[in-house]
Amino acid sequence: MAQANLLEQIYFALCALLAVAGAIGTVAFPNPIRGALSLLFSIVAIAGLYLQLHAPFLAAIQLIVYAGAVVVLFLFVIMLIGPDAVPPKDSRALVARVGGGVAATAISLLVLMVLARKTFPRIAPAQAEFGSVESIGALLFTDYLVPFEVASFLLMVAIVGAVAVARGKQPDPQLAKGKTQELVPADEAGLKDRGER
Amino acid sequence: MSIWFALSPLLILTFGVLGLMLADAFSKRHSDLALGSFITFFGAGLMAIGLWIMGGVPAEVAAKVAPWIILDKFTLFFTATLCLGGAISSLLAGGYLPEHDLDRGEFYALMLLSAIGAVLLAAAGEILALFIGLETMSLGVYAMTAFRRTNPRSAEGALKYFLLGSFAAALMLYGGALLYGATGTTTLVGIRDALTGGQFGSLRDPSRLPTVVLSMVFILVGLAFKISAVPFHMWTPDAYQGAPTPATAFMSVVVKGAALATMMRVMLVAFGDKASASWSSGWPPVVAGLAIATMVVANLIAIRQENVKRMLAYSSIAHAGYLLVGLVAAWGQGDPAVAAEGRAALLFYILQYTVTTAGAFGALILCGSRGREAVTYEGLSGLGRRHPAAALAAYYYLRVLVHLYMREPAPGAPQAIPMRSGYVYAALLISAALLLYFGIMPGRSLEMAVAAAKSLG
Repeated sequence: MAQANLLEQIYFALCALLAVAGAIGTVAFPNPIRGALSLLFSIVAIAGLYLQLHAPFLAAIQLIVYAGAVVVLFLFVIMLIGPDAVPPKDSRALVARVGGGVAATAISLLVLMVLARKTFPRIAPAQAEFGSVESIGALLFTDYLVPFEVASFLLMVAIVGAVAVARGKQPDPQLAKGKTQELVPADEAGLKDRGER
Repeated sequence: MSIWFALSPLLILTFGVLGLMLADAFSKRHSDLALGSFITFFGAGLMAIGLWIMGGVPAEVAAKVAPWIILDKFTLFFTATLCLGGAISSLLAGGYLPEHDLDRGEFYALMLLSAIGAVLLAAAGEILALFIGLETMSLGVYAMTAFRRTNPRSAEGALKYFLLGSFAAALMLYGGALLYGATGTTTLVGIRDALTGGQFGSLRDPSRLPTVVLSMVFILVGLAFKISAVPFHMWTPDAYQGAPTPATAFMSVVVKGAALATMMRVMLVAFGDKASASWSSGWPPVVAGLAIATMVVANLIAIRQENVKRMLAYSSIAHAGYLLVGLVAAWGQGDPAVAAEGRAALLFYILQYTVTTAGAFGALILCGSRGREAVTYEGLSGLGRRHPAAALAAYYYLRVLVHLYMREPAPGAPQAIPMRSGYVYAALLISAALLLYFGIMPGRSLEMAVAAAKSLG
């Protein structure tokens, strides 16, 4: 029993480490392809965590949708833009970077300290059918019907928004005619007032 | 009363947006879409007021969609207010978009979908539904900000808004997850019950308290971002300046109103227990501090702006500070009578704010035309002599006295030229009339605010 528990702990630690390392890699790699592949690691590791939580269906969905579709789409877009597209040099001041790093570390430590105190109540162990396709389906279409239906608004607004932004790429007729969208001094004013925020 | 009738404001908005998208596909004249979305907003708002007059939604009907969507008078009040803001914004869009060659029908669909998210957010009584509403509203607004994508300022503002907004939403979600871990429930009422001593025993147990406080902080940060309180306001001036002006009006009116509604629900209902809502150990001092910082910083920076849109952005941040003052008043030091007064005042304020702010952006839209947009104070110089009617509208809402009437434009400097549009005139007339109505005869709307405040919690 103790050994099984130890194995579980090791499995959890492995998955968690991989997930966090992948997440850090996603934001830290300057090369977008490496970033996308780190994201893949993170997603697979989270699917592993779902497995441990007795949610095999969720784990499968995670793999199919995120690892299968989303990351592939990311890679596709990166390849379209060109994998060599490296972001411009980071021009933030040293103070901003150090300050941001210190603040982020402090907040993470605070969260860790709070969570390390085992402050969560014990919740009854999961039922045998928990996480199965049937039970998830039943929940989605009975108890959680309202948020499930409402989520369709979210998907629709995302689609319409994507179309709106993509169509905005058409060259602005005004710009084509050589007119500027805003008055010139406004632009200058806009640039001037950046410093005072 | 059937549940469909009780949900009719949302259903009208839904069928309105579906119909508009179809109409957009088959029609060439997009300005009709503005009228269509105005009618949709108007119908939804009217249904909300109708439900109110019929005495609100009966409890047994409202129970069918509870706790996800709470159909109390508070929700009806906010539905009507948000629809009013949306209606004025869609009229403004009908004038602005054709004038500035942005006339694409998706704008109206986005505005309506985003408003559906806003209404759901104001009605949500559960963290999951709240988050879906928040994201629906935000995604629509991000896309509206990026609508003028060829303009670098629009792209910059939209990207900033999107990245910071996603970050704030993630923080809020994390807070919600922690809260679920601590209390075992995601409904706002259930959270309050758990905090006062529910099935897991009292969370006043000192070892559990930090988790609750931490989640409260995360949720507060996410909401403060949405109403753009200092120090979470960095995106506001850029997004407001980059977005097409009707979208800016929509953001400052509808998004802020819905965020305020959910802030009231979360802070006053979920965190409304004795310990969370106390000056010594709860959120009121934090919110008061945010309010002070917001009012001071935003107003000081607003003085120095030369761009009217940025000035209005900082003014909208300052208004977030006033709203937060109202939130502390709505807590009322735990005294129910004081709290009821504070809540009613806050609701009345958001109604006034909706009308005034939408009008201010409308006046700004009216003063500019294609290639001659009114963006700086300088551009408005001498408008009082050149175009008295537009200047009067600008003065009524913006009070830019010196530039409008007492200064002549510098030779060669670009001048704003007012546009002509029935839609913008209509929007300005509606908001001016409502402003006068609420100002001279506030009795009726105040009564509604009092009743709506009473139904909360």
